[in-house]
Amino acid sequence: MIKDITIGQFFPGNSIIHRLDPRMKLVLTFIYIIAIFLCKNFLAMGTMLLFLILTVLLSKISLKLIAKSIKPVFIIVLITSVLQIVYNNKGITLLELGRLHITTGGIFTAVFTTVRIVALVVASSLLTYTTSPTLLTDAIERLFSPLKIVKINVHSIAMMMTIALRFIPTLIDEVDKIMSAQKSRGADLESGNIIQRGKALVPVFVPLFINSFSRAYELAFAMECRCYKGGEGRTRLKEMKLAARDYIALFAILACCGVIILSNRLITAPEQYSNILDSFLRFVL
Amino acid sequence: MAIIQTENLSYVYSEGTPFRKTAIDNINISIEEGEFVGIIGHTGSGKSTLVQHLNGLLKPTSGRVLFNGQDINSSKEFTRTVRFSVGLCFQYPEYQLFESTVYRDIAFGPKNMGLSEKEIEEHVLKAADFVGLKKEMLNKSPFDLSGGEKRRVAIAGVIAMEPKVLILDEPTAGLDPQGRDTISDMIDNYRISTGSTVIVVSHSMEDVAKNASKVLVMNRGKVEFFTGVKEVFSNYERLVEIGLNVPQITGIFIDLKSRGYDVRTDIYTVAEAKKELVRLFRERGALK
Ligand SMILES: Nc1ncnc2c1ncn2[C@@H]1O[C@H](COP(=O)(O)OP(=O)(O)OP(=O)(O)O)[C@@H](O)[C@H]1O
Ligand SMILES: [Mg+2]
Repeated sequence: MIKDITIGQFFPGNSIIHRLDPRMKLVLTFIYIIAIFLCKNFLAMGTMLLFLILTVLLSKISLKLIAKSIKPVFIIVLITSVLQIVYNNKGITLLELGRLHITTGGIFTAVFTTVRIVALVVASSLLTYTTSPTLLTDAIERLFSPLKIVKINVHSIAMMMTIALRFIPTLIDEVDKIMSAQKSRGADLESGNIIQRGKALVPVFVPLFINSFSRAYELAFAMECRCYKGGEGRTRLKEMKLAARDYIALFAILACCGVIILSNRLITAPEQYSNILDSFLRFVL
Repeated sequence: MAIIQTENLSYVYSEGTPFRKTAIDNINISIEEGEFVGIIGHTGSGKSTLVQHLNGLLKPTSGRVLFNGQDINSSKEFTRTVRFSVGLCFQYPEYQLFESTVYRDIAFGPKNMGLSEKEIEEHVLKAADFVGLKKEMLNKSPFDLSGGEKRRVAIAGVIAMEPKVLILDEPTAGLDPQGRDTISDMIDNYRISTGSTVIVVSHSMEDVAKNASKVLVMNRGKVEFFTGVKEVFSNYERLVEIGLNVPQITGIFIDLKSRGYDVRTDIYTVAEAKKELVRLFRERGALK
């Protein structure tokens, strides 16, 4: 049950997407997400979607997993779409039910919002699915290393993130185990009202916290035993280096951005489609 | 009728992801009341997964688990009642203590059963006595105890429910030799004095040979053997092949036999070994 969470999970593989430089992947995802929000017409949106689909296929991550990543935002998507359809009254009215007007403008915006949210989630899940947490934080550390100038200890922050990420699965495992053990002693964790349920969780959280603290101490000792003293003067086993594929990927996304900018200037926005559709309908009728 | 029975029981972890893993595969066993079953198998062979099905913690991917002939997953209420009759004590149970005193921690199970204060006290004292916890320990915080003492408290927490079937997953892992002996003796005592069924997962062939009436050998999620101690340990080669062994003392006799001495190889305890060696020496005239 609690094990079904896939957020931030990493699925090892050897696809070209897995092998991209994590710094580049991070930057590309960032650019991609911004670009998604700049799309104002179907051509631009289509290009971005195509780009995403290609990336998913190249990553060889199963479509089931991709679908799983969308599941948590499904409700949000549904609510925003319904709100758009109900409250956006631009364009021509397709259907009138009492005070409810369903208009072309509403539908266009609903479709766009849906695509945007889904693309956003899929792109960021793809990043974590194909990049190991250690590489990811390593990449963050390097990308933000210029912040050292303003006295921000990027290394410590990155190390904390690495450790936190590393221990999420461990903690989930542990919660699962403790819950099982207490259930074996007849603890009822699944019924009753909120207060009863809250109380029932005490036998789970007390051992969890106690074990986490002792684990934190042990980890700190283990790190000190291996002479860890923070980031000063620390060298790396694996240096990151940009390869040809990284530049190709960068070029591809910049090309997509080009398409967006050009099409935004040349093609009318969806709100205006409705005007065209409007005049077309009027012409026919 | 068997008290616990499994029918084509299989379980798959992380179904539908690349980490999919069949932990147990088509298990058919039946355990009679009053039996002492030892479960052995290499690391990752599915022992813990199997025992977690026996009190309904894991729901089978396919197949059924029967308690007294009834499917334990047939209803939520039944699963919960089964948990009081089938007491499961996990691997490293000391990490699950949470109460402010040892007494209250042991009382957690009986309290969940809905017993009265008086009955709870009886159960707790009896359980503490079984595992050899002294009275003055009961008011201490469980976090102030040593590892071995914590283990006893945790086991007492399960015994206090007086389950008809007591399942222990590696109860002696990580304890000193004395601790191992006392815990395995105490489990046997519990079985004899209450007539309960006991199932113990263990990596110690000696413990299994000493106490068990039947041995379940797991190999890669499947049942390799499920018979008496003698029958299982007579398959020396096969056991070694699947990463297990026979008790050390048995190994010695198998070795002696292969060097041409006429000894029995179905020797599992030091006492038996002594008898057999004395017989051998007598025959050769080395002992009067
Ligand atoms: N929570 C889990 N998620 C995914 N796979 C698991 C999980 N628990 C166990 N497994 C896998 O299932 C298999 C059986 O595990 P199990 O814990 O039942 O083995 P075991 O026989 O108890 O081993 P050990 O002697 O080490 O305790 C192992 O290969 C393990 O990797
Ligand atoms: Mg185990």
